Amino acid sequence: MKFLQRFDSLLNRTEETLLVLFLSVMVLLAFMQVVLRNVFAEGILWADILLRHMVLWVGFLGAAIATSHERHINIDALTRFLSRRIKSAIKVLTNLFAAVICFFLFQASLEFVRNEIELGSTVYANIASWYVQVIIPVGYALLTIHFLIRLLLTIPAIGKKEPA
Amino acid sequence: MTETYIVVLALVLLALLGAPLFTIIGAAALFLFALADIDTSAVIIELYRIATTPTLIAIPLFTFAGYMLAESKSPRRLVNLALAMFGWLPGGLALVVLFTCAIFTAFTGASGVTIVALGGLLYPILVKEKYPARFSLGLVTSSGTIGLLFPPSLAIILYGLVAKVSIDQLFVAGLIPGSILVGTLALYSVRVGVKAKVPRQEFSWKALATAAREAAWEMPLPVVVIGGIYGGFFTATEAAAVTAFYVVVVEVFVYRDLHLFRDVPRVMVDSMMLVGAVLAILGTAFGLTNYLIDEEVPQKLFLFVQEHVSSRITFLIILNIFLLIVGMTMDIFSAIVVVVPLILPIAQQFGIHPLHLGMIFLTNLEIGYLTPPVGLNLFLSSLRFGKPILEVARSVLMFIGLLLAALLLITYVPALSLFLVELLGTR
Repeated sequence: MKFLQRFDSLLNRTEETLLVLFLSVMVLLAFMQVVLRNVFAEGILWADILLRHMVLWVGFLGAAIATSHERHINIDALTRFLSRRIKSAIKVLTNLFAAVICFFLFQASLEFVRNEIELGSTVYANIASWYVQVIIPVGYALLTIHFLIRLLLTIPAIGKKEPA
Repeated sequence: MTETYIVVLALVLLALLGAPLFTIIGAAALFLFALADIDTSAVIIELYRIATTPTLIAIPLFTFAGYMLAESKSPRRLVNLALAMFGWLPGGLALVVLFTCAIFTAFTGASGVTIVALGGLLYPILVKEKYPARFSLGLVTSSGTIGLLFPPSLAIILYGLVAKVSIDQLFVAGLIPGSILVGTLALYSVRVGVKAKVPRQEFSWKALATAAREAAWEMPLPVVVIGGIYGGFFTATEAAAVTAFYVVVVEVFVYRDLHLFRDVPRVMVDSMMLVGAVLAILGTAFGLTNYLIDEEVPQKLFLFVQEHVSSRITFLIILNIFLLIVGMTMDIFSAIVVVVPLILPIAQQFGIHPLHLGMIFLTNLEIGYLTPPVGLNLFLSSLRFGKPILEVARSVLMFIGLLLAALLLITYVPALSLFLVELLGTR
């Protein structure tokens, strides 16, 4: 369990660092584009494409971190009133389900990227699309891992008595 | 066929047990694609297509800017300025609540940030100034979503993406309906303020000057963003880029409320968790809705509806009731992503403009935030002010009634939503 918690926080810190890096570049680049376009009437061509793909990266990293903090959008009106132990048992189930689905989505996106490589599609000039698209399978793999970690970390809570 | 029913039932059950909605939607999409013998990578093709839409970048940038503002001392400066401006009016403080909450919700995207950041600030002042207790609680609770129709609201951007309507047009369309919602509550608040004989403050030029000087760097924000978009000087995406950059400069280097290395990364991560959660739903939902559209589900729904409903008016009534139920049970983001693609084709057959539908849709969901059992604002408010949920629910009854009246006006007078767009010729 200790090891798992350490791994979880290491994973989170890595993702957070990358996320902060990406978002900072986005904020600066997007602003620069507006200035260039309005003052010099000409933006950098590749910057728009890069920015659009960075949304994908930032989104997946954000979603991965949101899993650790249980910040995904869900319906919690029913489980809100249950006891802590039952809630934990349900959480194990829903995390397992989420992990399985994310794994299937990971497989689907792997297939998608493989097709793109075969087609030899490019995003800009001679840069292959899959360089930027690889975040989709990576993102779903991260989500799968996060849900599995949540699942394992929740199990001990089922056995614990209610705090008085 | 029985197989399908079992899967649907299992998914509904898992959703009710609190599984993340994007996994439910993803599971449904994967299942349907597999059933139709389509390669499941088609789900990802849709995800990639929507994720690289040019306007999508407005979502992370505006959300980040909104969170930065919420974490800084700008709520306090905004309240001080509004107090100096409107505090002397009858019911002035209540107007301050509505005005500041509307601006703040527009910037932070109705994610409950308003109730936490502003409600906590305003509720004690309302009580201290001797506004009736129940009214005060109801006012701060219902103000949490009041600015949903104004730029740069996240809900509007999302609706534009899903319904494939110009976001700039949507923002212009929202001006009058949004003002009607705020205006209705404002009139009521003034009446309560006068009836309760709340002592009026004196207007002071000195206080106004001080408050204005303090908020001098933030005052241009709503003007530039809202005015820029309404005036057609900026697109929503450009406004997002400018806002995000400007907010960092102002809060970090001018006011020094937030530290570049200690605070900004934290706010970035916090805000991107919301963005990630929304995009996760958006990503999988497009695969699902595209499948449903390919299978002509909206057409089938339309034929079914047409059998029972002949007039536009009846359809609008049913639409309102349906959307109120959606708003009660679903959060705003998943509701937009899942329900809009199904409703939009039907509404268009009945001659309802997509811009108008957007206003009806968002107003309904806004009211849904206040209604049990899921009404997010009720829970947030109960938590924030330490009141039992029933007391909070009772306190918003009058406000729900007023908002429903405004909803009827917005629904049955389409010109309110469409007139300005035509007048300004926004594209």
